[in-house]
This record gives sequence, C-alpha cells and structure tokens, in this order.
Amino acid sequence: MSNGWDAVVLNPIDELATALRHLKAGEVVRFRVGDQPCELIMKTDVALCHKFVVRDVVAGEKLRKYGEVVAGASESIEAGAHAHVHNIKSLRAVQK
Amino acid sequence: MDQFLGYVRPDGQVGVRNHLLVLSATGLTGPTGRRISQALPGAVFVAMPYDGGLLGEDRDAQICTLIGFGVNPNVGAVLMIGGNPPKLDHLAKEMSKSGKPIVSISMDECDHDAITLTERSIRAGAKLMLEISKLRRVSCPLSKLFLGLECGRSDPSSGLVSNPMLGLMADRIVDEGGKAVFGETTEWLGAEHLLAKRGATPAIEQAILDAVLDNENRAIAAGLDLTGENPGPTNIAGGLSTIEEKSLGNIAKSGSRPIQSVLKYAEAPATQGLHAMHAATYAPESISGFTASGANLILFTTGQGNSFVNLISPTIKISANPDTEARVKEQLDFTCPDVFSGEVSLEDAAPRFLELIIDVASGSKTWGEVLGEGEEVVSRFGGSL
Repeated sequence: MSNGWDAVVLNPIDELATALRHLKAGEVVRFRVGDQPCELIMKTDVALCHKFVVRDVVAGEKLRKYGEVVAGASESIEAGAHAHVHNIKSLRAVQK
Repeated sequence: MDQFLGYVRPDGQVGVRNHLLVLSATGLTGPTGRRISQALPGAVFVAMPYDGGLLGEDRDAQICTLIGFGVNPNVGAVLMIGGNPPKLDHLAKEMSKSGKPIVSISMDECDHDAITLTERSIRAGAKLMLEISKLRRVSCPLSKLFLGLECGRSDPSSGLVSNPMLGLMADRIVDEGGKAVFGETTEWLGAEHLLAKRGATPAIEQAILDAVLDNENRAIAAGLDLTGENPGPTNIAGGLSTIEEKSLGNIAKSGSRPIQSVLKYAEAPATQGLHAMHAATYAPESISGFTASGANLILFTTGQGNSFVNLISPTIKISANPDTEARVKEQLDFTCPDVFSGEVSLEDAAPRFLELIIDVASGSKTWGEVLGEGEEVVSRFGGSL
C-alpha cells in the first residue's frame, strides 16, 4: 500500500493484485511490483479489495498473492481482468 | 513503561473488568438464571444449554469452558446455579482455586422450585455484587494482558492491514511477557507451512500440520466445498476468493513470535507467549474458547463489519476498509483506512491502537459493551446420548 497507487501487489512474484479503490474497465491503473512502477489498462471493473491478474494467465496456472499460491486459474484470464470465484478456484479441501 | 489499570485477583491474574458472573451450568436453569441476572443490574449472564448425556470431547469441553469462564480474571465473583450438587460442587471447587468468591446453589437444594432458586440466588448474588464493588483498579504491566485474536466477516483489507495490526500487538504483548491466543484452524489451510515453521518445538510444528489435516479431511469427508462456506458469502462479496487467500491474511493476526503450544478448545495455556487453539472458526464459538482459556481482552478485526462481541472479555473491533468505516460507525472502536490507502504506515498507526488497548483495558468501554452485543457460545463436537 502506497499513497497514490490504485492497487497493491504484495510480492513481486504475485500474479494477483488487490484493488485499493473501485477500478473501472478501460482506465489506466498504477501499482508497483517490488520497487518498479507499473501501469495496466483494466479489462473489467474491479471493486475495492477485489483482485485482478497483472499478466495474462492460462487455465490451470497456479496464482499467487502474498508470494504464496492461493488459487488455480479455472480459465484463461487477461491482464487487468477481475479474478474471483468465477475464474479462480481453491486448491485445498477438494472433493476426491 | 506502558501500564493499564486492572483488578488484581487473588491468584495474581489481572482483570480488565470486574463482573459478577451469573452462570447457569445446565439448560434446565437457563430461564431462572436470566431472571436472577436481570435482578442484579451489571451482572453478566452465561447459560450453558447442555448437560446430561454429553460424551467425550463435548463433556470435557463443557466442563473446561464452565470452569474457564469462572476463573477468567475479568470475573470478580461467580454465582452459579444448576441441577445437582455433585457437578456444581466439582465446578465450584475448581473455580475456587482462583481464590475468588464462588457461590453455587442447586435445584436439588431448592426442591426443584425455580422461584425458591431465584430468591436464594438474588440474595446471594446481591451480596457478591456488593463485595466485588469494593475492589479498585491498580496500575498493572502489559504482561498481565492475555489477548484473544479473532477476525470475522473478513475481506482483503483484513489480511492487508487489520490482521497485521493485531500481529504487531500480539508481538508487543508477548515481548512484554504476556499471552496471546489465535484459533480458527480451518483458516490455517494454505498457510500452515508458515505457521508450522514458528512452532517452538518439532512436536508443535507437527501438531499444527496435524490440526489442519484433521480439518481438511473432515471437510472432504462431509462432502463440503469450502468455497461458499469458508470463505463465506460475505467474504466472497468482499473480494476473498479462496480459503488459501483468507488463511494467509488470517495468520497475520498471530504476529511473528514462536508458537508455544497447540491448545484444545477452551484449554488454558501453561506458559506465557503465543498459543494456537485448534478450534472452530465461527467467531462466537472461537472467542468463547479464548475467554474460557483465560483471555482478558479480545481484538477482533472485520472487513465488512461484524457486530458480535464477547461477553466476559471486552472486544475491540477494528477495520481498515474505508467503505465499512463509513457504514458502521457505532461498531468499530478503531479504524485505519489511512493505512489501507497508504497515507500512514502500519507501524506509525500502531501506537494509536496500543493506546486504545490500554484505555479499554483500564475501563473505557467498547461499542459492543455500550450496545450490549456480548454473548458466550460454546462449541459442540458430537451428539448427546
């Protein structure tokens, strides 16, 4: 979290960023990856506290936040698109 | 040196409140207990809904919880009612080890007449209330705090800001020589490797991993899809997508110090320091487990808002979500949207939170206390005979 940034990437290896305000499709958002300032055009709306991917990911990829795997992509997701229960899934307590 | 004003109990523990606890040890005397507590303004009332036919883990947990509520240092005296002398005598004997006044009156002694029990109990309770009103707060070190660390109706702001804030407080109190406990085992899933690394011994490391495996296997055996259950609908609406994401935010509450033991539900820790309780995630059950284990102050983070507080231990509610701060002003004792937005660092906001903790420990009320949102809810583990 840093003043004036629109989203936070908690660890430079993370694919998932968290929105620090309500973000709109088509707007340019600013965030840092490590010390590196980055910009991205939002593909979808992303509400405050919700997540988006910072790069294109393909179905089956493991996705990280806090530098730790928190989900698998259940479909391909474009950079700047909302990543949530509709397109990412838990990898734990999965029914056999 | 930071100090708070507390009630020193005969066993050396320190209360941040001075309650008369009216405790109904069985469901049979619940309504009578409520009537008695209403006649004694300021008393806190806890009713155990179950008694006969409890088995194994339930039996142990109910006894441990009842005793734990009685010996919690926020309780100045206990007026206990129940069905029969053997059980009440055992509970009273255990609670009396705290050195506090404990009075128990059974239905058997009142010919199972609720009006007789009511009258005798009000007289006995009034005497206790007068007695504990003579106690005064004195200056106490922060080592006398025992924090219970909880989160409820979380969203990503909890994991980013509020839970790490609790972690800083847990570290601080532990470093002062105090105690802290966190629980909610299901919310270690996906983060257990990080917690286990902090186990003080290899046995504790293994106990953490075993506890998580136990919960994960129970969820699978029950055919439960955790997504939708935990994270629940509010968590999902708030932006949490998976249990792994929620867990990684959750464990930030525990700070960074070594984990000294894995406790059973309501079990009192044997040492100072940080402890993990292998227990239910649902906040009312989880927090009652902490209070029964001796926690005298609860720190409770929320993302989307959560009105629940503990009854015996004051519960400080904190949120970093700016939308939530605007919505539920008479619920949140501490807000830090300025940390969420990045205007203020977590470390810079921490002294303001510690100051509130000291104020509440010294007698300032929380919103939950003012509004009377407190309750005790004890876990069940299986069916009764």
